[in-house]
Amino acid sequence: MPLEMAKGSGKQEFLDKRAAQLPPTLLGFSHIQRYWDARHQMAVAKIMPGQLYVTRHREMIVTVLGSCVSACVRDKVTGVGGMNHFMLPIQQEAARSSTPISDAARYGNWAMEMLINEILKQGGKRQTLEVKLFGGGKVLSGINHIDVGAKNIAFVTEYIGREGFAIADKDMGGTYARKILYFPATGAVEVLRISEQRNDQLVMREDDYGKRIDLQTQNDVELFNLPPRSPKKS
Amino acid sequence: MPTILAVDDSPSMRHMVTYALRRGGFEVIEACDGVDALAKAQGADVDLILSDVNMPQMDGISLVRELRALPAYSNIPILMLTTEMSTERKTEGRNAGANGWIIKPFDPDRLLATIHKVLG
Repeated sequence: MPLEMAKGSGKQEFLDKRAAQLPPTLLGFSHIQRYWDARHQMAVAKIMPGQLYVTRHREMIVTVLGSCVSACVRDKVTGVGGMNHFMLPIQQEAARSSTPISDAARYGNWAMEMLINEILKQGGKRQTLEVKLFGGGKVLSGINHIDVGAKNIAFVTEYIGREGFAIADKDMGGTYARKILYFPATGAVEVLRISEQRNDQLVMREDDYGKRIDLQTQNDVELFNLPPRSPKKS
Repeated sequence: MPTILAVDDSPSMRHMVTYALRRGGFEVIEACDGVDALAKAQGADVDLILSDVNMPQMDGISLVRELRALPAYSNIPILMLTTEMSTERKTEGRNAGANGWIIKPFDPDRLLATIHKVLG
């Protein structure tokens, strides 16, 4: 089928050309799925639960949120910005009751800090960060009666307050999922509400992510050469 | 009771770290960046420094270099507590004079165990 092969390779060539047109990713974000959006005439980075993406280019960041939350954060002066997509871990609380600091708080803090740090590393300043919050819908159905979305909203709202940031815009809660289109260069956000009929796959994906978070909270300690011991204080 | 200087630009992280350390029986002095930490270190008797890496004003690596240049801090243990996990940054920290690298999100029990081990 020479004609089809020619067509196929032509399409591949076209896609390769498009990929070559995508602006370079910052260090550490090459694994994020990206494509060209003809309607918006810009590159799109699509993030999944547990991921984040930061850019200093004119790009769009897209994600779909059920009970998860996303913080869209950018530096208003430099335009560098990004988005995360996370939820608090679902099941570890009971198993680790000896720890006064919950896994949920530790994981949530980490998810937020990862995003903010990447923006600061690219020249953003805490004082000029603009924060917008989305998600936290009550979409987990059936067996899971806990309102995971509400917990995620409470955490992220409290976190932003404690860090001293203002919430420039938000759309959280409700009983629906959302598709978020974020444009860090301008700070614009488009929120599309998703009808309930299409939530099954999303709920499964988020549930799976919520349960596997404990694997990501394994901390890593490496000691280098230690200084000579000095006499201990009494 | 040993004193730890805990350095982080995030109030949430400082709150959590301070809570874990106090519960572990340490006295804690908080600082919000390298400049703040350097000033506080020089006015106190600190047994160990636990510092973030990415911070405004002066980052954690620069803080280690500055502290190591001070005779009083040439041998005080310094542990980095950070989201950074790249080998390059770790090597940079090690070369600057840091004694350990702990990656966030930290486990409070493991953090305390590491500090006890370092303090001997």
